[in-house]
Amino acid sequence: MARFLVRNLVSMGTTMLLVSALLFLLLEVAGGDITVRLLGVFASPEQRDSLRRQLGLDAPAWQRYLDWLVGSDWRARPLSAYPLVTTSNPQSGEAEWWADVAGVLTRWRLVDGELTAIQRAADGTESTAPAKTVWQRAPDGSEIFWGVDTRNNLVQWERGSDLEVLVLSEAGVRSERGGPQHYIPLRKGIVRGDAGMSLQSNRPVSATIFSRAANSLILAGAAFLLVMPLALFCGVLAGVHEGKALDRLVSITGLGFTATPEFVIGIFLILIFGIWLRWLPATALFLTGDAILRDPKILVLPILTLMAAEFGYVARIARASMAEVMQTPYIRTAFLKGLPRQRVIFRHALRNALLAPVTVIMLQVNWLIGGVIVVEVLFGIPGLGSYIYDAAIFGDFNAVAAAAMLTVSIAVLTRLAGDLLYLYLNPRIRFA
Amino acid sequence: MNSTTLSPSAQPPGLLRQLANLLSILLSSRTAVAGLAMVLFWLGIGLLSLVWTPHPPNAQAFDANLPPTSTNWMGTDHLGRDIWSRVMAGTQVVLLKTRLSTTPQVVVPGGVALWGVIGAVGVGGLLGVNAGYRGGRVDQTIMQLLDALIAFPVIVLYLVIVTALGSGDVVVVLAITITGAPGVARLVRGLALDIKTREYIRAAETRGESAGYIMLREIIPNARGPILVDAMLRVGYAIFAIGTLGFLGLGLPPPDPDWGSMVNDARKYIYANPIAILWPALAIATLVIGVNLFADGLREELTRYQQ
Repeated sequence: MARFLVRNLVSMGTTMLLVSALLFLLLEVAGGDITVRLLGVFASPEQRDSLRRQLGLDAPAWQRYLDWLVGSDWRARPLSAYPLVTTSNPQSGEAEWWADVAGVLTRWRLVDGELTAIQRAADGTESTAPAKTVWQRAPDGSEIFWGVDTRNNLVQWERGSDLEVLVLSEAGVRSERGGPQHYIPLRKGIVRGDAGMSLQSNRPVSATIFSRAANSLILAGAAFLLVMPLALFCGVLAGVHEGKALDRLVSITGLGFTATPEFVIGIFLILIFGIWLRWLPATALFLTGDAILRDPKILVLPILTLMAAEFGYVARIARASMAEVMQTPYIRTAFLKGLPRQRVIFRHALRNALLAPVTVIMLQVNWLIGGVIVVEVLFGIPGLGSYIYDAAIFGDFNAVAAAAMLTVSIAVLTRLAGDLLYLYLNPRIRFA
Repeated sequence: MNSTTLSPSAQPPGLLRQLANLLSILLSSRTAVAGLAMVLFWLGIGLLSLVWTPHPPNAQAFDANLPPTSTNWMGTDHLGRDIWSRVMAGTQVVLLKTRLSTTPQVVVPGGVALWGVIGAVGVGGLLGVNAGYRGGRVDQTIMQLLDALIAFPVIVLYLVIVTALGSGDVVVVLAITITGAPGVARLVRGLALDIKTREYIRAAETRGESAGYIMLREIIPNARGPILVDAMLRVGYAIFAIGTLGFLGLGLPPPDPDWGSMVNDARKYIYANPIAILWPALAIATLVIGVNLFADGLREELTRYQQ
């Protein structure tokens, strides 16, 4: 048992590592120029170059992969004269990087060739003062200083330099003098829960993604809990009556639901219940964060759509498994012994017949996630699915990568859970 | 057993005979016949649309959002195009043609779904047969890589690929290839593991045939039955996927009609013209169900045949 667990965990770790490398390869290397998205097509090569350096894109690909995976603070710390710390912003609650100068949180800005320190007091207020910083002499004779800037980078300033950089702010692109020579975007890495900044919203990905995931979890969880007993029941019933009309009905309905794309099912439901009968809202309006709790009616059609998509496969597996068990010699023996039919089915057949579907259900989570994406886009639910969709449309690498990693880890973890459950349920393995 | 490899002069059973055999197996399954009828219906519609549609599918010749009338059997869409003509022509990109994004545009025969499945079976088959036949390190490396790909929910992988590579027919073909190859590879690996223990493989090895020859000429031809059925099922998934991608606005580029995109467009006008969304949705559903029924029936008959 312990060996099984260890082997599975190791293989899971390898898989996740490969997944992260694959994602990075696809998105960062094969992907287009992100500066085109951010600056538009008319920006000059110098502007693009400036932005690329600010985003740390001038570093080699393997370095950026490591930064993304395990963080860049490892390589930033030795360069910085002061310890680097993270603290949360008093207004937004998002994590920010500061340098700890003798107990005072400090960031810097280069104004007219001289450094200004921005200090944050314990109560959250910020004040500026001329920096009492010692410039370090670089080998080439220039005076340099590595410090934290106001955009969560560790940067290298040069004394007296008047380098022009383009800063992308919410109001647009503006040119700033006194820019740094080098940038190391500070991040903790996805392994430590920091997925970097969303290029689309300029906020940390981790600040949005979890609340979005919670909405998806409610949606997917409700659909899952409602459909599984139903699908297993129908499947088992069909399996017991193999070849009869009831079996045909369940099989054909199941095949129909499985083969029909989720969005088609969703649209039929919208047409019927939302447009013609007007019983239920056709789209989900999320005006407040707890809209699901205030108006559960908006979730009915999305959940029904997911249920239909899930129903077919599980019902078919349960049917096949039950039909197979019903033909085994031990069931025939039970019948020949004269046991009542009910007892044979419930006490003898069912336990063995449910083994296969239970593992399949866990593998289904991958499929459920795909369905959740489509359903969230169709009904306008702000969940993880629509998040990854919006990010993919925009080309927001950090957000796509983080959301993809999250979905993959959910899928991999449920698969492990499925394996464990199978072990627990199957006495032939449990006592082996 | 496999006479072709021993003496080139001995002919394999005639191609016509094989086809007739397959057909008789097919016709004995009602499921497969029903599926085949649905697929042939759409194939016929697609071929017909190459030479004739009631109205030009891309022409904005009518008022927008009309309900069905005697001129526009299914009504018109939000740009005043005839929906039935567009549904007809929508078959083309799925089954009949692939547009390469070169200038000038080159059109390759064979739909996006078919090329995607050919790609998946080609790549997956090669990886799988190598993993199964060579075993050891090669097997471990290939399977670990494919496990990583399988760990992705399919639509997430599509989204990642589209984010990275943009959109277009070729990207959709690539996406179907990448998402399908791991499944094919697993299947072929299993078959190769079984087949490589047979005597004729031993014989070929003793003759001193190269590994490439054994894999491509001995193992793959003997594994083609299950691979074919799997490929059929995959065509269904591929049409499903193309529809979903089109619905998400990531699929085949306009202006040529694509069912998924048509659903997505009609969705925005669902209150003005609710019936318009029904037709392309029905088209996708029936074609996918048809392919699935066909593949399911074929598989059932083939396994019964083998028993």
